[in-house]
Amino acid sequence: MGFGKYVGARVLWAVVVSLIITTITFLLLAAAPNPAIREAATQAALQGGDPSAAVERERELRGLNQPLYVRYMDFIRSIYTLDWGWSESRSQPVTEALLQALYYTAQYSIPWTVLTITLGPLVGVYSAANMYSWRDHVATGFAFFGYAIPNFFFGIILLLIFGVWFEVVPISYDTSAPVFSLQNVRQLILPVFVLVTGSIGATMRVSRNESAEFQNSDFMKTAKAKGVSPLRAYAYHVMRPTMVPLSTTLVGQLLALFIGSSLLVEVVFGIPGLGRLTFNALISQDTNLVLGSTLVFTFIAVVGNLLEDLVFTVLDPRINYDDR
Amino acid sequence: MLGIGGATALAGCSGNGGDGGDGETGNGTDGDDGTDGGDGEDSGTDTSTYATAAAASFTTLNPIYNDENGAGNAIARALDQGYTFNADNEYVPLLYDMSTEDGEVWTFEVREGLQFSDPYGEVTASDFVYLIQEVHQGGWASSVSATYWTGVEVEQTGEYEFQATLQSPQLLWPESYEPLLYPIPQDLLQPYVEEEDAEGLRQDEELLELQFSGNLGPYVLDEWQRDGGTQYSRNDDYYLQDADDLPDVFNEAPYFESAEIQVLGEQASRLGALETGEVDSAAIPPERVQEYQDNDEIYVNQIPQPYNEKLSVNMRDNGWTTGPGNMFRHIPFRQAMAAAIDKQSLIQGVFRDFAETHFTWQPRFSNFYPPEDNIPMFGVGDRYGSEYARGLAEDAFEQSEYEYGFDGETMVDPDGNQVQLSLYHSAGQETEQLMGEFIAQELGNNLGIDVSIEAIDGTRFDTEYYTTTDFPTPERNEEGEVTSVPDELVDTVDGEEVEWTSPTATNPGPRNITGNEDWDMEIVYGLNTFPRNPLTNAVFFDGATGSYNPVGYYPEFDAQTLFDNARQASSEEELADALVDLFVNIAEEQPYIMLAFPDSTVGYREGLEGPIENFSNGWNLPAWRYEQ
Amino acid sequence: MATKKPEQFDRVDWSELSESRRFDLSINSIGMLVATLPLALLWLYDYQFVGEREATFQAIGLSRNLDPLDYFFVFTLFLFFFYLILPLYQNPRMTRYYWKEFRRNRPAVVSLGWLGIVFVGGLIGPLLISAPEQSILTGHQPPVFLSIDEANVANCVGEVVNGRCQGTWQHPLGTTRGGKDVFAGIVYGMTISMQIAFITTTIVAAIGITFGTVSAYAGGWVDEVMMRFVDIILSFPTFLMFLLILYIYGAGLGMFILVFSAFAWGGTARYVRSKSLSVSEEEFIKATRISGASTYRVVRKHVVPNVASSIITQLTLLIPGFLLAEAQLAFLGIGDSAVPSWGQLISAGRSDLAFAPWIVLSPGIVLFLTILAFNFIGDALLDALNPEAEAESA
Repeated sequence: MGFGKYVGARVLWAVVVSLIITTITFLLLAAAPNPAIREAATQAALQGGDPSAAVERERELRGLNQPLYVRYMDFIRSIYTLDWGWSESRSQPVTEALLQALYYTAQYSIPWTVLTITLGPLVGVYSAANMYSWRDHVATGFAFFGYAIPNFFFGIILLLIFGVWFEVVPISYDTSAPVFSLQNVRQLILPVFVLVTGSIGATMRVSRNESAEFQNSDFMKTAKAKGVSPLRAYAYHVMRPTMVPLSTTLVGQLLALFIGSSLLVEVVFGIPGLGRLTFNALISQDTNLVLGSTLVFTFIAVVGNLLEDLVFTVLDPRINYDDR
Repeated sequence: MLGIGGATALAGCSGNGGDGGDGETGNGTDGDDGTDGGDGEDSGTDTSTYATAAAASFTTLNPIYNDENGAGNAIARALDQGYTFNADNEYVPLLYDMSTEDGEVWTFEVREGLQFSDPYGEVTASDFVYLIQEVHQGGWASSVSATYWTGVEVEQTGEYEFQATLQSPQLLWPESYEPLLYPIPQDLLQPYVEEEDAEGLRQDEELLELQFSGNLGPYVLDEWQRDGGTQYSRNDDYYLQDADDLPDVFNEAPYFESAEIQVLGEQASRLGALETGEVDSAAIPPERVQEYQDNDEIYVNQIPQPYNEKLSVNMRDNGWTTGPGNMFRHIPFRQAMAAAIDKQSLIQGVFRDFAETHFTWQPRFSNFYPPEDNIPMFGVGDRYGSEYARGLAEDAFEQSEYEYGFDGETMVDPDGNQVQLSLYHSAGQETEQLMGEFIAQELGNNLGIDVSIEAIDGTRFDTEYYTTTDFPTPERNEEGEVTSVPDELVDTVDGEEVEWTSPTATNPGPRNITGNEDWDMEIVYGLNTFPRNPLTNAVFFDGATGSYNPVGYYPEFDAQTLFDNARQASSEEELADALVDLFVNIAEEQPYIMLAFPDSTVGYREGLEGPIENFSNGWNLPAWRYEQ
Repeated sequence: MATKKPEQFDRVDWSELSESRRFDLSINSIGMLVATLPLALLWLYDYQFVGEREATFQAIGLSRNLDPLDYFFVFTLFLFFFYLILPLYQNPRMTRYYWKEFRRNRPAVVSLGWLGIVFVGGLIGPLLISAPEQSILTGHQPPVFLSIDEANVANCVGEVVNGRCQGTWQHPLGTTRGGKDVFAGIVYGMTISMQIAFITTTIVAAIGITFGTVSAYAGGWVDEVMMRFVDIILSFPTFLMFLLILYIYGAGLGMFILVFSAFAWGGTARYVRSKSLSVSEEEFIKATRISGASTYRVVRKHVVPNVASSIITQLTLLIPGFLLAEAQLAFLGIGDSAVPSWGQLISAGRSDLAFAPWIVLSPGIVLFLTILAFNFIGDALLDALNPEAEAESA
């Protein structure tokens, strides 16, 4: 099997996985009672009408009187036509709601990702270069601290300290702040910090342990002997090989964190991003929006796994396509 | 305040801009923590913006479909409704004045000079009549106000005048908020009316963004950010500036250059915003009121409310799951429960004294509150305590055909097992949880009942337990009159045959028609007690005919006659007499175990003029301002 | 063991030999059976004879009720004892070696001590300390040595000095808004955390090992299908799905454990599969196979012991994730509020943070320390059991 074919197969498989997950979501929601229908019945009853007729009318309006497979086909069709319906709880199209939320999510997740990818390996390699020194211990301690402290708890504490006691950061998120402004930096600094401490630990540990191997390798010794500056030596001979195994774990870990933590961090800091959108959609039983956001999250998760696989195959020539 | 307004869609949105101006929230599932649905009023250190904080984002700003209090406030910034009530509870005409001779025929006089935005022109009587006849009464749109206009005949009698004829006289019709209308341009509605396109009407952008509001509100809506809230700028042409019939203070209203409502889900954020001056007002939780009273920059108003905290006991067949013979159906037993719960401790512990005791279905500030000598005050003083409650329970056991009794401290069923009951509260609502556990303790200590507390999602409780849509319906002829009632909807109550002619999800029929799941007691919902128009309470206490009777309560006093007397009253005195009588009986029968009226405690920035410690707070919102 | 001594090598009935071995119980399994039997009987008694809402031990005057989760918890404790602690005791030489390796990592030793406290506290605490009970009139009491503005409490249990309510030993860590004792809440939370830790790991290990080995040994398209299934499990947005289930159908702690462990075994299965594939390539396994040992036997006697250490490490590192997920759900206010977990305590104190931070801080710190301890131990195990393993799985 050639590389192209292998990638094709993986992509196809990713599509299948997304389909399966969204199908399960669809079925779960289809089995749940629909609050809108109930409401119609109540309305009709209050007006002296016939509730069962109203229920029927409402079901027809929403296409719920059709057999499940027809609704399912409609649902699948709507996925790729991007006609994801109307969000009842926000009075706007689902796609618009998702885009708006994504706008806010991106504002903190981009700096977070960039910082994690750059700082993690740097600190890790630095730590390895100074292995078992106090600096290494501090870095290791920090890694464990960040990894172990629950993000939402850390967020609350920081907000209490810097928002309520010292009043250096605002405690409420202002959606009208321009993206590139001091105000936006101030209100995003804590969420980004909390997320970075949470994710940097793993990256740091991996790069520390990986680079420790290359540290004492022959080519490193040679480089040093040749008089290559330490910075250059580390950049070329330690960082680069470290990145290979690192990149394979990075994507997956970041994504897992993203899906789990973004919701909590958004709730704590009041950021109206994807996580909160999904959560609010769930508690207000906004079926269309729940489906839409699940779709987005599934897409992110599946694409992440796919990327991880592909990066792995590209970076590691030892992988045989046939074997997987 | 939790789940206030609960399941009913009975109260209209008064559109009082202020906090707690009226009380209808969605379905009890509002907001993240929902611990206070109130929105505060805020005007920051910068006195040119009037900003407030809301706990939950708005579902819709479409005036025809909004049924949330918070969104009602957001709409009210940009769009006035027909009328309001001032601090003395007097009718104040905004868009129209209402008058009547007999309470049956009401004349609406629309104020002149009201303008929609272009191209819709002037607001005339025909806009209102069209809205009522084609949308509210049209049968296709399921608008929120639809129920209020059923059976009302509306007729345009002049360019600025129309008449409404009620089926039966109602002296307090405006007080019920039922004839409260938003101005909606006829031309905007027309295409949807012709197509009967409810979905299109619901999603219409002009309605959602209030783009037609013209000079009809103190501010103009600039932007509605779905998560962030709303932003407004001053409406320089606000029609009340030219109104002669209002206090002079309106002549230059509003006094702020702009306004905004910030949606801040976390209580801590709302309070923080108030402290820093980002917002000018926010609801204060009871345990922190004193702290803010001591703050020089903030003052706290304590505003009595008509929304109650009560314990529902299920008298239907899916209640009293512990054994045979539903004891809740016996008045002495309900009295015993009321007597077993210490109202003072509840108020002190949960509401930190910012609540009123609740003995009958009216708050103390109501004009129809009966003299306290006439009502039994269960749960305080002599009428609280184990011995007293047990005595009442023994009376109930005697009435029952089953042999319940006390085995030492515990209440036991005929088999000798302890009576075990479930108590539901909304998941994630801390106040409810506290109340629930307190009630469980009190019932355990004073009546020997084992109460298990269940947290449940409000919507789920509503659909599966509290209500049902699966009930038989009477047959109707073309005019909508009931021609025959199925046997399932006929039952004998207190020896009289009763028909359920218009069953609803919240009163689906006799006690054997129930929700899917069993439940014994709940505190998920608080209800409005309608102090301005207590007649509305007929929906709760009129037995078979009331539209809201999930607990299956049938009055053992002659409620029907009292309600009829009240309805036919030709003077306020007659009305008051009939109603006072009614409330004495309700205090006696405890259809719900009444507990408390929590006050709304709202903090404002020092210097803000306008807020009052009265249920009408916010009626004159456009005239609020900072001292010069 | 074969009962008769075969006289000649070629007369040996190898199939009988291997068959008989399958039912030859080790002392561990016998212990397990002996311990489980009364448990099962108790459960049966509870299920059959005790009223639905009565306490299990009402007959002998104890009010502690056992629900299915408790039974499962005790069962996993037995498993843990007979298949992890006992073997360590049975192999003192190996144990000493592991301990020597493990001891080098000081944070891990401290962590082990902490987890010991949590474990013992969770087991015994509820017997010594009565469950935190609401007492609305004594809400927001400060921890001992601290004080709170009198305005924030309804009644002060301790003294009031200069308008500030002082903490008392009656509530060493203060109380929540509802007057529940925070210290008692933390102790009860230990039980919950231990239940989550033990039950989920048991389920994950059971499914993961079975799935992984079956997949490895079946090979061919069965293997392919099973591994693709693992792919799906791994890309499943579990947290989201659980929210969905919770909101639509409602769910308690049992459902939480079930759903989360049902979607967490993917990694273990993958790992076990690759491990058993490589183990099965080893010469000694080939030899065993040729000598007629059944697949079950190979797996049971050779594969599992060979991968056990790595699985244990991996599971140790999974547990913090579960504890965190539970706390997150509780924090969002949609966990089962009847379950006295640390997350519930944190969420109960969330809005009182500004003036009563102990309600959030105490359980938050305990949760943090527990997660940290699991991570340290996982890390140390990684080094001790498998020196060449990389810290990747951390």
